[in-house]
Amino acid sequence: MSLEIRAAVARATRTVIPSWPLSSFIAVNPLGGHESEDFDRAAATRPRDAFLADYDTGRITDPDLIAAVLQRVPELAGAGNVVIGNRVWAAAELVAAELVHADHQGMPPSSTPAPDLVDELVSKWVAAYLDPHPLWEMPDRDQGLWAAWMAMARYDPHLPKAARRRLRDLPRTPDEGLAQALDRLGVHGSETELVLRLESHKLPGWVAHIKWRSDHVGDIDVTSYLAVRITLRWALGLPLPRSVAEPTTERATVWARAAVLIPMLSEDPASSDTHVRVARILGLHPPQLHAVTWQSAYEEHYREQLVTALRTTAPTTSNPSVQVVMCIDPRSEGMRRHLEDDPDIETYGFAGFFGVPIRFTSYQARGSIDALPALLAAHHSVTETTNNVHHARRRASALRVRDAFAAGLHASETVPAAPFALAETLGWFSGATTLLRTFWPGSTPFIGRLLHQTTPAMATEVTIDTAFTLDERAGLAETGIRMMGLDRQAPLIILAGHGSTSTNNLYQSALDCGACGGNPGAANARAAAAIFNDPEVRRILSSRGLPIPDTTFFVAAEHNTVSDRIDILDSQLIPDSHTTSVTFFLETQTTAADRLVTERAAQLPGATRHSLTRLRQRANDWAEVYPELGLAGNAAMIIGPREMTLGVNLQRRVFLHSYRPECDLDGSALETIMTAPLVVAQWINHQYYFSTVDQNCWGAGTKTIHNAIGTIGVLSGHTGDLRRGLPLQSVAIGNRDLHEPMRLSVLIQAPLDRIGTIISRNQVLRHLFDNNWITLTARNDADSTWYRYSTYGWIPEPHLDVTTQGD
Amino acid sequence: MDALTKMIRIEIVIPGRDAPSVRELITAAGATGYTAVSGVSGLGHHGPHSGALLFNEYDTLTMLITVLPPEKALALIGAVRQLLEDGPGVMFVADTYVSRPEYFA
Repeated sequence: MSLEIRAAVARATRTVIPSWPLSSFIAVNPLGGHESEDFDRAAATRPRDAFLADYDTGRITDPDLIAAVLQRVPELAGAGNVVIGNRVWAAAELVAAELVHADHQGMPPSSTPAPDLVDELVSKWVAAYLDPHPLWEMPDRDQGLWAAWMAMARYDPHLPKAARRRLRDLPRTPDEGLAQALDRLGVHGSETELVLRLESHKLPGWVAHIKWRSDHVGDIDVTSYLAVRITLRWALGLPLPRSVAEPTTERATVWARAAVLIPMLSEDPASSDTHVRVARILGLHPPQLHAVTWQSAYEEHYREQLVTALRTTAPTTSNPSVQVVMCIDPRSEGMRRHLEDDPDIETYGFAGFFGVPIRFTSYQARGSIDALPALLAAHHSVTETTNNVHHARRRASALRVRDAFAAGLHASETVPAAPFALAETLGWFSGATTLLRTFWPGSTPFIGRLLHQTTPAMATEVTIDTAFTLDERAGLAETGIRMMGLDRQAPLIILAGHGSTSTNNLYQSALDCGACGGNPGAANARAAAAIFNDPEVRRILSSRGLPIPDTTFFVAAEHNTVSDRIDILDSQLIPDSHTTSVTFFLETQTTAADRLVTERAAQLPGATRHSLTRLRQRANDWAEVYPELGLAGNAAMIIGPREMTLGVNLQRRVFLHSYRPECDLDGSALETIMTAPLVVAQWINHQYYFSTVDQNCWGAGTKTIHNAIGTIGVLSGHTGDLRRGLPLQSVAIGNRDLHEPMRLSVLIQAPLDRIGTIISRNQVLRHLFDNNWITLTARNDADSTWYRYSTYGWIPEPHLDVTTQGD
Repeated sequence: MDALTKMIRIEIVIPGRDAPSVRELITAAGATGYTAVSGVSGLGHHGPHSGALLFNEYDTLTMLITVLPPEKALALIGAVRQLLEDGPGVMFVADTYVSRPEYFA
């Protein structure tokens, strides 16, 4: 019985996508468990009114609607014309007209189940279990949630006496407890899975996080969680959740739809033959497709603008002195564009972990970070080493003193009554710093520098040699070169990861690098630079036909996406021969950063007319809920050489991955790009999409009422569900959307047969493209016609025209 | 074969993202261990699977192999059947013989 229960739980929660903790926020598609279904059946869109408002402003046009209709129902292209009044209507035009003029969509608004007492109690106990008080840990916590809860629940004053009595004699294991509770509630056989599914829908945020934690930490699982829920339900005598029947929208018949539409298009009476023909045409596009067709039209408008923008690109740099490799993150697009204002600089896009997936532990640090995509498990541990042992010892001593002071302060905060004494003794100091931070946000880094004066930074190197064998290092370097098409090397190559700085921001990690597991990308950039500079690695690369000149040096750097400054890392390793080039880069970068901050200010709320200094101070302002825009607006991904996009202002909305088919003869590099960076970009895109479309269901709500549960997540208020997705301030300003919710438009320049082969042999790509979770437009080379990928094969799109590169 | 002990070998091929649930069942069944092979390639009802991907272990197929005494295997077989009933994945069950039965009991 025990295993059957676990199997039922696993089936009931199969489509739940694990939710990472806030400390390493990973953007995921919350409906990723439904990718095997078509997007229009599994997902949601904005309401029809929002699309109509866009239609009125021209954001969606009639040609967009017609194109979307024909994409969805290609048969309409051959469905003939109909004369209504004195105008001839093509079938697709009629369908598009119905979308605008008649509301047969009938999309029910999404609904969140009403919370009940069980939700409130479970949320409290799970939070107490997963984020234990340092001094008052739940008893029996080491034996799991079920044991810890059993030990405490019988004393819970929020439970009636009768319920507490019922909780006195429960089975020892959660499996038995769940089976017993289900049995007592009269749930048997095939009903079990349905009840478990409905129960898991009640607090979906907690369930998603428990699913992650079960696999990554192992101190809780969904079975224990459901055992507590259903046992409480039995003890309280509360009814089981029931499935809510889908609201039955009265669907109009095709005849009724024709009868509504025709008078809207012409005042002249139509013949019965016209009615029949219109009805037949409308029948090809049933109301349940209307919402997603609107969505496609919304995206089609952007996609066409994007491809059109690629027609006029800037000439390429023939002999750059500096090459900068940045993350594919859309925020890098702005920096790359401004850096390339100087023709001596050439840029590339690559996943921000630079192909070096590591678990990284800083020198003299306690914890580690998994600086790698969420698609991977950590297999290689990297740390730091230093030659300056004397300095390291002094620093370690100073760190111990500082940590002891911090721990003492924290402990005294958690001891009853101690905070009163603390307020008397240190309150004045805290009050003064609070005033400083509030009225002079720029003082925050100053205070930080003062506090860290006793522990100054120390020159270290990353320990790549012990983490990877020479073959592995050479393999990673070769993969990187082939994936980004780095077929020529400038004397200086900067590998710039990225990170964000903000104060009092629980969602700080969501602004860091997604390819580095929601961490800053410095460690990976340093590791990659060390690999590329390794003479042994270069010897192997040369033997594989990928020589790197001896005069080329790789330098690690980090792009701060709030200040847009790029800091050079491991500067002690830079040879004298390259210091002039680095200085040139830093000077050019300073100008580029100022231009980019100014450009971004146009979209940042409340930033107009602010000075550069004030804009950058957002990083230190603890009242600022918009330190930067993050990835708001992301809408597309372009995989191809930089010549495709050079000089085009993509408005920081596009993931840019460099790729040259000629450097990838067997297509393996493209397969890696499509099955990893593209998948991560899609996760990010859908996280933004769903957080915008329905904040209540898939977003985290406003930051202003968030309460942190340790580093796990946030609640809105003091109880309830763990919030999933992005906060309101990541996707909207008040009632106005900051993010345009569009599915990712992927553009690839590579042989179509190669792309098709890769899709056909990877189920994840088949699901994403065939089920319309993302769209794909591709061309063989710069002089070819664009094609759109569809379930019917590649469809030419000559209207998108041929690019005139470098003109 | 006389010196060997009869056991049940269970092989399960499932999408990587479903592997944690199956691993949990294997552990709950009392298996003393299992072998996981990620990036399994092949052709199935859902089309071809390319095998190991360089930077994606999440979207590939995983094969989990475990060996149990018959009295423990039956419950696991039932639970995995239930789990795979209408989803992707296959299970193979076969008799096997081991030299150190205490490793698997």
